[in-house]
Amino acid sequence: MSDKRESQQTILVVEDDVLVRMPIAQYLRDCGYKVIEASNADEAIQVLLHQETPVDVVFSDIDMPGAVDGFELAKWIREHRPGLDVLLAGTVPRAVESAENLCERGPVPKPYEAQVVHNHIRRLLAARNATKKP
Amino acid sequence: MAAARREPSPRCERKVRDTVLVVEDEVLVRMVVADELRKAGYTVIEASSAHEALDLLRNGVDVRVIFSDVRMPGPMDGVGLGRVVRSEFPMIKIVLTSGNLTPLDWAEHHGFFQKPYDAAKIIKHVKRLLD
Repeated sequence: MSDKRESQQTILVVEDDVLVRMPIAQYLRDCGYKVIEASNADEAIQVLLHQETPVDVVFSDIDMPGAVDGFELAKWIREHRPGLDVLLAGTVPRAVESAENLCERGPVPKPYEAQVVHNHIRRLLAARNATKKP
Repeated sequence: MAAARREPSPRCERKVRDTVLVVEDEVLVRMVVADELRKAGYTVIEASSAHEALDLLRNGVDVRVIFSDVRMPGPMDGVGLGRVVRSEFPMIKIVLTSGNLTPLDWAEHHGFFQKPYDAAKIIKHVKRLLD
């Protein structure tokens, strides 16, 4: 049991709408990921600053209330946690180009299908694991 | 919302377990207690405020026990949440926690834990409430 948990990949889901966050988080848990939920970017940053909490992928909404939205969070991550994969989801069409610079695959359109997010995350993790191999 | 309506693929099957709703505005505290409850075998749903908790309940999320902090920012604290839950969802048990208050004899609840709490004691208490 402990071996299984240690090998689990961790996804940090950042979404201010609990009715969106809950099902996507539950779905990803059912798929075998450890999922940490943050209801805004400030919470996400608190989690990322917590050294004892490893995170493999950040999956964040773009539009969130407060001083830091998804783009700002992605910028913060690039500065403070370079190498950490970020997946953005949002409805801001004009932001797609910027998003492509921030994410490997670009944002996932909302409303998103859980399976699409799962596939994105699997590809990100597979790509990352492939680059780690000698 | 699409995720809520979509059936998980066969490799992502959901096991049916009792659901505990953790309501806590401190993300690191919420993360730890939610993780411990999941390790104990419960399905755990997380809310960062009383408003989020009510949003989930009023949208039909099936919960057996709520474990809520008392002091939270926003118009409703854990005691207020307990009052609404008792009126709208009388079957749900509510357990409260706080670092600042002594046991809330004046509030209606199914248990109170002073912070910092031992997660093992919370799990034991939840188990007793659900037996």
